[in-house]
Order: sequence, then C-alpha cells, then structure tokens
Amino acid sequence: MVCGNMAGLELLSDQGYRLDGRKASELRKVQARMGVFAQADGSAYLEQGNTKALAVVYGPHEIRGSRSWIRHDRAVINCQYSMATFSTAERKRRPHGDRKSTEMSLHLKQTFEAAVMTQLYPRSQIDIYVKILQSDGGNYSVCVNAATLAVIDAGIPMRDYVCACSVGFVDETPLADLCYAEESGGVSSLALALLPRGGQIALLQMDARLHQDHLDALIEAAMTACKGVGKVLDEVVRLHLKEVSVLTGE
Amino acid sequence: MKDTPLSNCERDFLLKAIEEKKRLDGRQTYDYRKMKITFGTDYGCCFVDLGKTRVMAQVSCELVTPKENRPNEGIMFFNIELSPMASPAFEQGRQSELSVKLNRQLERCLRNSKCIDTESLCVVSGEKVWQIRVDVHMLNHDGNLMDAASIAAITALCHFRRPDVGIQGDEVTVYSPEERDPIPLSIYHMPISVSFSFFQQGTYLLVDPCEREERVMDGLLMIAMNKHREICSIQSSGGIMLLKEQVMRCSKIASVKVSEITELLSKALENDKKARKEGGRCGFAESMPQERITALKMDETSVEMTDVTERAKDIVQKTEAPPQLVRSPVVPVPGVGQVGQGLQNTWGLEEEDEEETEECDNSDEEQEEKVTKMEEEEHEKEASREGDVVEISDSEEEDVVILHPETPDKTPKNTESRSHQKGAAASKKRQKK
Amino acid sequence: MLSTLKERTGEVLLPGDEFSFETDDSISLTGPVRPEKVVCGPGLRRSGDRLLVCKSGVLRHKQPHMFWMDSQQRRYVPAKGETIIGIVTVKSGDVFKVDFGGSEQASLSYLAFEGSTKRNRPNVQVGDLVFSQFLIANKDMEPELVCVDSSGRANGMGVFGGGGLVFTVSLGLVRRLLTPHSEVLADLQQLFPCELVVGMNGRLWVKSSSVQQTLVISNLLQSCDAMTAQQRRQLFRRVAQGAL
Repeated sequence: MVCGNMAGLELLSDQGYRLDGRKASELRKVQARMGVFAQADGSAYLEQGNTKALAVVYGPHEIRGSRSWIRHDRAVINCQYSMATFSTAERKRRPHGDRKSTEMSLHLKQTFEAAVMTQLYPRSQIDIYVKILQSDGGNYSVCVNAATLAVIDAGIPMRDYVCACSVGFVDETPLADLCYAEESGGVSSLALALLPRGGQIALLQMDARLHQDHLDALIEAAMTACKGVGKVLDEVVRLHLKEVSVLTGE
Repeated sequence: MKDTPLSNCERDFLLKAIEEKKRLDGRQTYDYRKMKITFGTDYGCCFVDLGKTRVMAQVSCELVTPKENRPNEGIMFFNIELSPMASPAFEQGRQSELSVKLNRQLERCLRNSKCIDTESLCVVSGEKVWQIRVDVHMLNHDGNLMDAASIAAITALCHFRRPDVGIQGDEVTVYSPEERDPIPLSIYHMPISVSFSFFQQGTYLLVDPCEREERVMDGLLMIAMNKHREICSIQSSGGIMLLKEQVMRCSKIASVKVSEITELLSKALENDKKARKEGGRCGFAESMPQERITALKMDETSVEMTDVTERAKDIVQKTEAPPQLVRSPVVPVPGVGQVGQGLQNTWGLEEEDEEETEECDNSDEEQEEKVTKMEEEEHEKEASREGDVVEISDSEEEDVVILHPETPDKTPKNTESRSHQKGAAASKKRQKK
Repeated sequence: MLSTLKERTGEVLLPGDEFSFETDDSISLTGPVRPEKVVCGPGLRRSGDRLLVCKSGVLRHKQPHMFWMDSQQRRYVPAKGETIIGIVTVKSGDVFKVDFGGSEQASLSYLAFEGSTKRNRPNVQVGDLVFSQFLIANKDMEPELVCVDSSGRANGMGVFGGGGLVFTVSLGLVRRLLTPHSEVLADLQQLFPCELVVGMNGRLWVKSSSVQQTLVISNLLQSCDAMTAQQRRQLFRRVAQGAL
C-alpha cells in the first residue's frame, strides 16, 4: 500500500504520531452544544477538531411542495447539506447544488431513514439541514453527529444514536478520524455511520484501493472509533438534559 | 411519466419467493444474468447487455489546459445519462436522485481508484493535456444499472485508442488515425462493481437484482473490486442496517464474481481485436443478430424443474381418498339428469371477457367426475350461468337424493357419462405421466 | 366491397390501404337485392364511402359481416365492458383511483362492490389488485370502473390476489387466451393445476400450488408471446417432462 507523501510530510511517523500529534486510534476533540436556535424544532452545533458543523431540524410537519412525495405509512426525511463559502481554504463557488453536495444530502437522508422511527408519523415530512462552517476533513461524519444531536433535541424518536467516523489506512495501520491533510493525501478512507448499541451499520462508504484482507481490520477500527464518538455524544446529551431540567425546576 | 405502482400482491409474492430462494427468472441467489459485451465500429464504443438491462458507453478525448493544481495530469470526466427511453420513470433533463447517485458512484469507482494513468495523458506540462470523457447511456432499465454502467465504462476505456502525439521542440503535432496508429490508454487495473440487494431487514441477499427485485428491496450494497482482490469502493445505499459479517461475506462473493466478469471482459476484448485485425466487419450493426422479433423475446433460462413431478406425485399420494359417496344426480328439469357440475356452461355466452380457468387438482383423478372443487381458491362461481338449473350447494356432503322411479333409465346414461369422464380422466393421467 | 374484404381476410394490411365500392358494382335488377352491411371493428375506419385501414396487422373476419384488424400492441386503451386487472393507488373519500396502465387512472367508487353500502365499506387497501370492468371508457371522460355487473352481482370481480404473481404480456396474447377454444389455454391446462386471472389490459395473475410452479407458468406465458404454435407446444412438452 503506497503511503501518500505530501510534500515530504509523513502521515504516520515511526513513533506512531500523526501530523497533528495524535496517535493512530485517537479521535479529535469533540465539543457540542444542543438547542442553539430558538426558531427550529431542534438544533445542534458540533466541533470535531477543526471541523465545525451546524445542524437544524424541522418537523414532523406537513409536506410542502409536491404532494407526490407523500408516503401513506411513514414520514419522508428531507436532508440538505451545504458548505459555507468560507469553510474551505479557497472560497467555494457553489455552496449547494453541485453533485458532491447532492450526494452528501442523499447519504444523510439514507442514514437517518434507517435510524429515525418514521412509521410513527405517516404523511408528514422531517427536514434536516446541515451546514459546514469550517471544513478540515471528516465532513460527512461531523454532519451525521451534529444531525443526531439536533434530532434528539427536536424530540423525534430514534432507534439509537447515529455516530459516524472516518478512518484511513496507512502503513498497515488504521488511522481514526482523518483530518483534511490526511484525506487528500491519497489515503484509502472509509466513512462509517453506526448505531452503537446494536453494532449496525447505517452507511458504509469507501474510496481508493484497499486490499480485501485489510477490510476487516479497517471496519473494526471504524466501529471502535464510532463507539468512542457515541460515548461523547451521550455525555453531551445528558449534560444538556440536566441543564434543561434544572431550568424547568424539576 | 409515472411508473406502474407496485401492488401488494407482487411485493408479497416476491418476498415469499426470495425467502424460498427462488428468483423470478430461475437464477440462484448469487448468479448474474447473462452478460453480453459488443463493440461498435469506433474505438471506445461498447454495449453491455446484462439480461435485459442495456447500457452503452462511449469514450472520447480532447486536448485541453490542465487544472492549476495538477499541471501534469490528464483529466477524466464521467457522465451517466439516464435516458427516458430506458424506463418510464426517467424524466428528460431533470437531475434525479438516481442520476446523481450513479454518477458519483461511477466517479468514485473509476477516478478515485486511479485505474488510469493520468500522467501519461500529459502532452505539454501545464499547457496541454488530454481530457478523456466517458459517456454512459442507459438504453433499457431492467435493474442493476450500476454494474452494467461500470462494466461498460471500463470496457470502453480498455477498448479506446487515443491519437498519437509527436513533440518536436515547441511544436506539438497530433497525428490522425490514418497517419499513425492510435495508442491505447494505460490502464492499471479494471475495477468492476458488484451490487448486492438486501431484503427483509438484511436477512436475505441477492446479487444482481432485476428491476422488480429492486422495487421491493430494502437497500443496496455496491462493492467495486478488481481482480487483484483490491477493493476500490464500497457504498451502501437505501435505509438498511448492515452487520460487519454481512459486509465481509459480500466482499468475498464480490471477489469471485469480479474475476469471472474480468475474464469475460478480456475475452470480449480479445475477440474484438482479432476480428479487427482480420479485417472482418465489426460494429454494432453486425453484432445484432438477425432477429425477427426482439422486444418480446425472452432468452431461455433454466428453471428448476427436477422435483416437480415428484412433488406432484407426493401431492397425489398425500391427499385423502375422495369421498366414497357418489354425488347424487340432480334433476334440473324433468328428463335431464346431471351428475356434478360438469364443464363450464357455454350456452348463450356472449361476453368472453372474464374467464377464470381452473384445473382439477391431481387428486381429482381418482374421482369419477371432473368436478371443479369449490374451495377458497375460487373467486367466483359460475352458478349464475346455470340459469334455471338448481343451485348446487357448496357443502361436501350431499344429501342422498332418492331416485324417482321415472328416472331409472337415467342411471345407465349417467354411468356412461361417468365412465366416459373416468376415461377422460385416465387419459389425462396418462398424458401427465 | 364485402367480397373484396372477404378476399383479403387473413392478409397483412398497412395503414393507408383502402376499400372502396367498385365502380362496376352493378346492382342486379332481377334478383332480390339486400343492402350490404359491413361492421368495422378496431383498426378500420370509415371515411366518406371508403373504408380505410388505420392499424397495421392481419384482417380478420367473423360471420356474418364483422371485420377488424388484428394488430399487436402493448399499451392498453380502455373500452367499455372490458374487464381488467387494476392496482389501487389512492384511497380518497368515496372513490378509489385505480391504475390499469392507460393514459390516466380510472375511478372506482366504493359502492360499486357487491354487498357494499354506505355503512358497509369494502375492504380495499392501497396496492391491492382489483378485477373490474369499465363502465365509462370513452376518449372524452375519465374512465370509470365497477366491480359489479348490471344485475348487481360480483360475478368474479372485486379485490383478489393473495399469494399469486401478476405480470404483463402483450394484448395479443391476452386476446388469444380469451378466445373460446384457446390453444394456449388448452396446452397450459395440461401442465399444472393453477389459477389464472386474465385482464384485458395485458396483465395476468397466476397462482399455483407452489412458488416454483407459479414462476414456471409466468415465465412460460411471457415467453410464448412471440412463439409460433409449434414452438410453444414443444416448449410446453419439454416443461411437462421436467426436462427444462
């Protein structure tokens, strides 16, 4: 497996340190807040290292626009993913509507259709809007984590948390939670969205060449990383609930 | 245009059939449909038939200025067109979800895996590079567009020849195909995608779903691999939850399938190269065989039939012996005796529209009359057709009707008819065996 | 004209062929003269005093004076009185919308079932199959279906379909299956016991004693669409022997 060399930078040094000083299986620092907007039914802000994302949820509400999307037995989930024009190093010309964003929105929709209990709200629609404020790798994972918190904040019932993480494979070692430099270095990366309790994979996406024998180890590493993220999200939710219950005087 | 909605009956039947490991066209769960690869007259044009799904790929090239951040690499551009001729569900112009999904998957499968050496496409660094454009058109949608598209794209790329370029100092000359032979692209490996469809929350798995199976599936897992067992891309779609073991199992199946398909692909390329060298006529028009009827024709598919006769015999043995009592003859009109229901009454039949055909079960062979059984399976009774004939009740046990003395001569007639029918039943039995 | 029509029965005709009264069609003054009556069926159109062919196909004749073009088609155009297999798509208020493969969806009132009253509604869900006939089917109005005949009885129509498989074939095969002494049906009867519902919109529903047999029969019917009688009999024979 050829290791991507970017201007002589090593993605994994001999002592086992990565570009930003983390160990191979170490996640970036996760900070999150729920309930940041008053207008929306649910909202959350999540930072994972330098990647910052904002997620907002509206719903379940009446289906707007085309009536042909109505499903008579479940709610329709509508996701939109966009990146702020200032989020990347070079100013983004098209924040949404290009193929990559549409694909990302589709993936988000698919992930949440698996996790949200849509059968409880037939003939209605749930909107999830995610915006990346600063992009430093792991865009999809951060969006999913932020959206999970937002959905929990909106009170929509879910089967489990949805935690996502990206892993890369360098020098026979899986690296958890890739940053932008590692992603663009030609490393084979795998993004995984997991429901931690049951170990079920809601979305699996992998690019670049990887030998079949390494797949097992990579998925394992991804699942461990997701479970780690899940623990952090769980803490955030409990903290938020405690704050809210203090305010309501219970 | 709207597609035909899927009825509950179809969905239930398909799921039930999948549970019994039976597919609509008789394949096994891990079988691909019959694949046919043909080439057009130009280099870089190829058609792929996967069962009834038909896809065409065309590769073309042009000299452009390279991207600023990659000055000595060529550009690859992929485009999948969901033509409305492929399916009534595709609309012209609008970029639907499916179109975005397929495009992104093909890009990821071919571009990110670096199957083509893009540096060899560079002519003058920073100024002129080759842009290779792959256009894939869907011609007929019968399921599994992704696999067909990926096979078509990589085959077309392998088949393609770009014009030769000569550099003398500052001058760059592009030679036409007549002056110098065009050269093929340098391809490192051939990634081929394999699609797995999941049913019943991941309990059942099928490879290469056809269109009807795609409509009832929960989700799809696409794995792109090459024959060196390197995974080029994995993508799960649809709202399914997978387990790690399922993913591993799918990747193993995929590696087997990919090696088979790669072999077929290389053989097709070989044949085409041979045909061109011999100067024979090649191309799309030649490869279409002389067929009178193309649309409704179906290829012969093997259907598992081995145990049917045994099962039929089983059913015959297991059914109970028919009730011993003979159905008493009914006297609808004096002078006419009727035993059993008999065949359908075609007297005064004006409308031919609704006819429900029902065959006797094998168990009826033992019975003396060819009585159409009144069971739950029936949906309507022809009783209304009888007109003024006595309505016969549905019950199995019939009251024994005492024959009136006026009709003793009817009994021989009845026995005749009975024996005639028995003969017919027996001959039917003989035919079946 | 009747004589020319009778002559050309069984020939393949193309749109644009016409039949007209021959100019030297003389009327005998001696014998009894009855006016000729020709009933034009589908595919034949009258234009002035000529008869034009508008669909390509084979000219068929039924005694005493009915003529029509037997053409192959896959898209169904509704006609009054024909029974079809439809799929319920929308259940709104008092009316169901049924898709039968035509240019628009037909409406089916909930009262048009046997034994249904305002209080006693029929049990119809979205996605169910209904076997019904057209009450109104002309080019100017929305088609309307009913599941009862004129005397108010179901006569086989209504919701059905548990456990079977529905598939599409061409309209020609459907007509062949519905003729009184259909060969295809006779051949099929010798294979397995099965239940078959034939909708004139090209949809067939099959149910047999096992999933395997149902699949076999549906595949056979779909493939015998384009076979000659000889090939079809051969195929059915092979299946009956279990060799396929």
